[in-house]
Amino acid sequence: MKRLITAATGLALLALPLFLPLDGLSAAGRITCGLFLFAAVYWMFAPIPIYATSVVVILLQLALLSNASPLVEFLGFPYASVDAPSADKFTGTLAHPILILFLGGFMLAAGAQKYHLEKNLVRVFLSPCKSPQLLLIGVLGVCALLSAFMSNTATTAMMFAVLIPVLGALELDDPLRVSLALAVPIGANIGGIITPIGTPPNAVALGALAEQGIRVSFASWMVIGAPLALVSLVFVTVVLLKMFPPKAKTIELKMTGRFDLSAKAVLLYVVAGLTIVLWATESVHEIPSSVVAFLPIALLPALGIIGTNEIRGISWEVLWLVAGGISLGYSLKDSGLATWMISLVNWTSLGNTGVIFGFLVLSVLMANFLSHTVTTSLLVPIAISLGTSGVLAGPGSLAVIAIGIAIASSYGMSLPISTPPNAIAIASGAVDTPQMAKVGVVMAIFGLVVIGGLAIFLWPLLLK
Amino acid sequence: MKPSHPKLAILCLEDEPAVLDAVVRDLAPFEELFLIEPVESVVEARRVISVLQEKGVPLALALCDHLLPGVSGTEFLVELNHSDATKATRKVLITAQAGLTDTIRAINDGNLNHFIAKPWQPGDLQKVVRDQLTSYLVATETNPLPYLALLDAQRLLEAMQQGNTTTDT
Repeated sequence: MKRLITAATGLALLALPLFLPLDGLSAAGRITCGLFLFAAVYWMFAPIPIYATSVVVILLQLALLSNASPLVEFLGFPYASVDAPSADKFTGTLAHPILILFLGGFMLAAGAQKYHLEKNLVRVFLSPCKSPQLLLIGVLGVCALLSAFMSNTATTAMMFAVLIPVLGALELDDPLRVSLALAVPIGANIGGIITPIGTPPNAVALGALAEQGIRVSFASWMVIGAPLALVSLVFVTVVLLKMFPPKAKTIELKMTGRFDLSAKAVLLYVVAGLTIVLWATESVHEIPSSVVAFLPIALLPALGIIGTNEIRGISWEVLWLVAGGISLGYSLKDSGLATWMISLVNWTSLGNTGVIFGFLVLSVLMANFLSHTVTTSLLVPIAISLGTSGVLAGPGSLAVIAIGIAIASSYGMSLPISTPPNAIAIASGAVDTPQMAKVGVVMAIFGLVVIGGLAIFLWPLLLK
Repeated sequence: MKPSHPKLAILCLEDEPAVLDAVVRDLAPFEELFLIEPVESVVEARRVISVLQEKGVPLALALCDHLLPGVSGTEFLVELNHSDATKATRKVLITAQAGLTDTIRAINDGNLNHFIAKPWQPGDLQKVVRDQLTSYLVATETNPLPYLALLDAQRLLEAMQQGNTTTDT
């Protein structure tokens, strides 16, 4: 019943702007306005899965706003000053270069999983951690490192599978249980900001920037994300040790296994290493990261390193989710809706700092309750419009605000529903929601202060 | 709090009330997340299964005695295995009397997953049930999170990662 009401409300909002006296807004702008409201309701309340909403958004754009739409001609919905955009532009979002970059990352992760590379890395990292403090640092670090390249959720699931015997061996009232159970999702969430492929919101920001002709290289993202992640990890280590001082003196961690040295596994290591090196050195050779991503996409199947099973196991729906976010941003700009909305508010009174900080706060707040990708998909197009209309000034302001929003969304992690890694941590039974919320709120405030400071003072210099 | 996931059911088929009670007692730890349906005959079992189906509650596990009046437990498991709704159901035979022919039929045609010989130790039965329920969740790719504390969390999480069943949003 609730689902039906949400579904109907979303559809009603889709039509609503057509009937409102929105002076100065073209018909295309009204349709886009309805589409944005529809997407917001469907993404927030999820009457259908959020990735399904994404592809429905693309369908609606094709049906209502593209040059392939009979309605655009027939009903006389002209764009204010431009031709209706080509249908290919919308369908093409499913193969957007940023999505290809992600696909490359997914293929590497699938390969790593098949040959247990990630588990062996965990073993190498954690085996020297004999004290509770070291183990906590090790868990945070290795979760962050792995989730920089693979999904935060897969990292968390794997890490809990490794830690369950450790948690079981600790006394039930040892606070170390809580801090370890929190370290996994926090490490994984933070790790997502290290690289462009760390987590899907990053793709939405980069896709929107690409549309503006702004290319952010893999390495320049890392220059922004990696130090921030490092500072956050140090901070959360201190917070967790203070809030949950461990009782156990030593840790017994039994992990066996060794690196797979079969020919295929070694080839995987080589392809993965080469891909990552090429990603990190884009400024030297100037091959775009999405082009480099085709190395794993083509070589892993060609060399028989991964097969149809792994290809089918890839999270295609995440790519759809991101595609919808990127596609929605197109219409906001093309239809003139963005310019019109901005003209309504006297943004300049807020100033650069106020606008940036406002979006960061919104992003963290929304991301606590919504999917991080959805948060980014809703906020970045609006922020980018502000930038292009001259409200935001200063070098690199578009990149600063888009990347800031994406990164800030990763700090929305105070509730079990905030992210799938949090849900796994709560389900483990080792931590409860109030404990998660306490640390989550501390992290959100820390994130806002640090991201805000960097976005205003340092990033403009790096991204100009 | 109402569970946000559909409940799963466990069927216990045993004609001796005392033994049935013992089985149900052993299953107490699973009551929190599973609907436990004790039945004394195949006729009753069929009725319960059709009610479960109407309510949309999948049958995760069937624990059956072999020697029953009328249709045998083995034949009942074969029946479950040939119905789409219960094909994925984990099938366990608890018996002292099944002969070789019945056992072969249960394995080959009933897709029997486990055989428990009477009498059993409570811990043994619980371990088997825990393993079988875990296997059911893994095989059907059911969201394992509500079951982590009760079942084999390590196996559930590894399957979740390997199968990529939950991802970042």
